Amino acid sequence: MIIADFGTSYSKILDLDHPTPRIIRSRDLDRSLRVDLATGHNGKRFAGQYVNELIALARGGKAMIGRDDFLLLDCGSRDIKFVRYKNGRLDDMGWNAECGASMGFTIELLERYYDLDFSRGERPEKTFPVTCGVLGMSSIFDAISNGMSEREAVARFIRGIAENAYRFADAPEEIFLSGGLCENKIFVKSFPCRTTALGRFVLLEGLKKIADEHE
Amino acid sequence: MNIPLDGVKTAGIVGVPPLAVIRQLYRARVEVVDLDAALVAADLECAVTLLPRVYCAILRTVVVNGLNLDLDLIIIDTGPGKCDAAAHTAAILADRIKTPIITTENRDREPFGNPVCESDLPLLRKMEMITAGVARPDTPRTSPPPCPPTAGFWGVPPRDFSILTPFPDSTHVYGWSRCMENKTPADNRLEARFNPEVPTVFFAQSFCAKTALARHLAARHPHGLYLDIDATATASARAKIEAFLELSGGNGR
Repeated sequence: MIIADFGTSYSKILDLDHPTPRIIRSRDLDRSLRVDLATGHNGKRFAGQYVNELIALARGGKAMIGRDDFLLLDCGSRDIKFVRYKNGRLDDMGWNAECGASMGFTIELLERYYDLDFSRGERPEKTFPVTCGVLGMSSIFDAISNGMSEREAVARFIRGIAENAYRFADAPEEIFLSGGLCENKIFVKSFPCRTTALGRFVLLEGLKKIADEHE
Repeated sequence: MNIPLDGVKTAGIVGVPPLAVIRQLYRARVEVVDLDAALVAADLECAVTLLPRVYCAILRTVVVNGLNLDLDLIIIDTGPGKCDAAAHTAAILADRIKTPIITTENRDREPFGNPVCESDLPLLRKMEMITAGVARPDTPRTSPPPCPPTAGFWGVPPRDFSILTPFPDSTHVYGWSRCMENKTPADNRLEARFNPEVPTVFFAQSFCAKTALARHLAARHPHGLYLDIDATATASARAKIEAFLELSGGNGR
């Protein structure tokens, strides 16, 4: 059985007979590709059976975290979403595809444009107040034109995005993070609370659980 | 209140006018049109000539209907069962269109019950019946079969009924929609009621004052989800409802 999380920028595909998922740029996907079970923004295009992203996130989070109380925040390329569990029950959820738009996508664009690597690094001292990727860009360009280094300007932007995501998740004491931005150390360290990065395969883990139940 | 109906064949209503007014329209065989619902193909954007863009989508819809429909009269309830925004909209329409505008204050207290809210019909059908019932002076002779609830929908009838489709048929209706069926739109106590035993979506139109009450009640409910939506439901809003029902067991599974 093949399951997949078809994200906006990257797709994660797993053959359940093999242990390691493949990561493919979504723009490079073969349009004729078909999988058995999918989630993600582009999932309905490639699968007979589709699972809502929040459901896949919640199921994957429960399996990976193994606690009754947790808040799991997924920061994707085009949106941010969270699920909160209390006493083993769903307590709250949120999905921001509008005001949280394109934050992950913008970070990746900026990294490539300025040739920066944020897989290492520390949280910057200061932040930019950003509400979405598009609006935050002007802060970066202004700061660079005023003499700030490109790395510092983008790092402040990333910190602003992390703080924005933290408020969106209702400012918890601890956050479990999901999504490709888990590999961005500046992002992970910029949350003003305890963080645990679970990586980019949480939704796949949720699909695995759902696939197990179907079998 | 006695409304002059000479020559009036078609009247638009906004909100829930008093039963006495509805009875008067019924007796005079006036065709009643609910202006809260999207009735014309014109874009919501054309309301911007009279209302700000950031405004309740229901009232923007009222304005679009008022500008595009050939009506003899518009009756807008601006009582405690509606909102300040409706009163302002009534004043603006009275100033800007030729159709006569009459405002009412519905303070009816006689309860007509909630058989539709607690029935086993699909939620979308329930809401269609509740909104259609506003123009009727009575309730249907037969009631749909009741069912025990597995989920709740609290709020006003949404501008975009498509958000109702993910709910199971065993969803009971609360909030102002319940007051509408009961023909007591100003009954604040009934509006604030919910069933703590079933997962409930607390819905309000974006930019409506009821967003505060919806959010407050969702926080008090042991298993509530607050949701506000503007003119049309986004894919993420629909997905939130689906996920909430699935993960909370509200879909009965």
